[in-house]
Amino acid sequence: MNDALTQSLIRLSPGAQRSLRIALDNWLYTATILLCLFFAVAAPYFLTVDNVINTLVSASITGIVTAGFTLVLLTGTIDASISGVTALASVLTAVMFQRWNIPLPVTLLLLLLASVGMGLLSSLIVIEGRIYSLIGTLAASGVFLGLSVGIASGEQVAITKPELQSTLFQAPLGVPLSIWLLFLSYLLGYIVLNHTKLGAHIYATGANYSAARLSGVPVKRVIRIGLIIAAVATSLAAVLATGRANLSLLYGVTIGGVNVTDAFTAALLGGISLQGGVGKIERNLVAVLFLSILSNGLQLMGAAPAVWLVTKGIAFIGAVIIDAVRQRL
Amino acid sequence: MDQKEPILELRGLSKSFGFVDAVKSVDWQVYPGEVTALVGDNGAGKSTLIKMICGALRPDAGEMWIKGIKAEMADPADAFRLGIAPVYQDLALVDNRDVVMNMFLGDELTYGLFNLFLDHQRMARETQRVLDEIHSRIPNVREVVRKLSGGQRQAVAVGRALIRGGEVIIMDEPTAALGVEQTAEVLNLIETLRSRGKTVIFISHNIGQVIQVSDQISVMFHGRMVGTRRTAETTNEEVVSMIVGAKKDLEHQPNS
Repeated sequence: MNDALTQSLIRLSPGAQRSLRIALDNWLYTATILLCLFFAVAAPYFLTVDNVINTLVSASITGIVTAGFTLVLLTGTIDASISGVTALASVLTAVMFQRWNIPLPVTLLLLLLASVGMGLLSSLIVIEGRIYSLIGTLAASGVFLGLSVGIASGEQVAITKPELQSTLFQAPLGVPLSIWLLFLSYLLGYIVLNHTKLGAHIYATGANYSAARLSGVPVKRVIRIGLIIAAVATSLAAVLATGRANLSLLYGVTIGGVNVTDAFTAALLGGISLQGGVGKIERNLVAVLFLSILSNGLQLMGAAPAVWLVTKGIAFIGAVIIDAVRQRL
Repeated sequence: MDQKEPILELRGLSKSFGFVDAVKSVDWQVYPGEVTALVGDNGAGKSTLIKMICGALRPDAGEMWIKGIKAEMADPADAFRLGIAPVYQDLALVDNRDVVMNMFLGDELTYGLFNLFLDHQRMARETQRVLDEIHSRIPNVREVVRKLSGGQRQAVAVGRALIRGGEVIIMDEPTAALGVEQTAEVLNLIETLRSRGKTVIFISHNIGQVIQVSDQISVMFHGRMVGTRRTAETTNEEVVSMIVGAKKDLEHQPNS
């Protein structure tokens, strides 16, 4: 990896080190607030209710994916199967619901089972195959992409039955369902990580695998559960994206707006370490919102889509650098 | 010599790795409430012997008796259930988690539906109680372990063994990487454990420390237990000569 950045510890006085750590832990909150203030002034439409809801809705898909991604990253496992899981989950939803005319609740239940299966397959490769997680899950992703092309017979499946959209486009208390799901997934993640045995084991497994194992933590099971949770979260996001497009997202990378770099960017900006065991999921929600606000604000100011893509790329690089600096402290 | 029944007794315990006999038919008694030091040169077989006692290695031959009952151990968890609690050399601590979470790692206290939720308060209380019991000075149990001194880390690792009901605490080179002050802290800890009625197996290279804190000293040489001495009845020189193999002493092995 980036040896030059990660090779040695940064030599700083304890005071400076503490300040830098505090800055790294809190810059995101400050930046998000400043960004909001800036756009509020620069783009008058920014602070309207419609636009706030719009921003949150557009944050929801990446946000839900990132919630699951955060959990698995904390176990010290990198899940690169997001594109594959998205494609397969989307195709399965469309094919089961539209082509096979299976009722929506049953479709969703079967999809839940399928996504657990996807997580299991990834974990089988990573744990039993003892393959580095980034590579193992990338391989799994390829399998899922292939399966989705096969199941959809190479076509995009258009959904004409109305129930999917009418279900997903509900807005309890005036707030769209996808926003509820976004916050719910982080609330769940927060509770799991901070108040359950599984959460304690997730942190321990990621922070020190062998110490956790010697202490009786079922490390393999923890990683397996992490990968399953990530696959289920990604599938949920895929259903939302499929509903929005009313179309199977054969190529999850491009169409769904769900991709692994977005999840990476958000997780690293939020301060989750690539090595595992370090980070807080609530900060990742802020990172997701930060990116969504940035995208929305740029659009409102009339920036070309290219500007957003480049900005996103720069944010990714910045996130990786921040992670590297953090590890050298 | 000793009226007490051994809490741990090994009979003819052996283990080979390929052609290497790491442990050769070892008989050994460890008495309850005492500090037994296990000494020997590198490669004398101490670690292999200890790993078998902890259930991390299966012996090729021989028996282990714990509290007068023959023990069958398939893994470390079995050994733990029988009260054998190893404190690993690298302490098996997770640096960026706090003292409480380390203390209960892998065996967390829970409450509520399906025992899903962590009982943070009870764990903090128990941690404080155990640390007080071993006179450890860790000001804040919510401090991450990374910020503790070597002696404090040792206390956390030992506390963890105690909290799980460990009766035979096995400490593998606990002072190896420590400075003078922290070494004294760990030796105090061992004495505190003895005063609490715990049995301690203390593995060390440092004869001075061994003589200072132990009740009996057992010496391994080339995979054999070459002798066990009451600490009060031996000398630094005798122990050293046994370690280097100059003085073979097999009369202490009872089943001959």
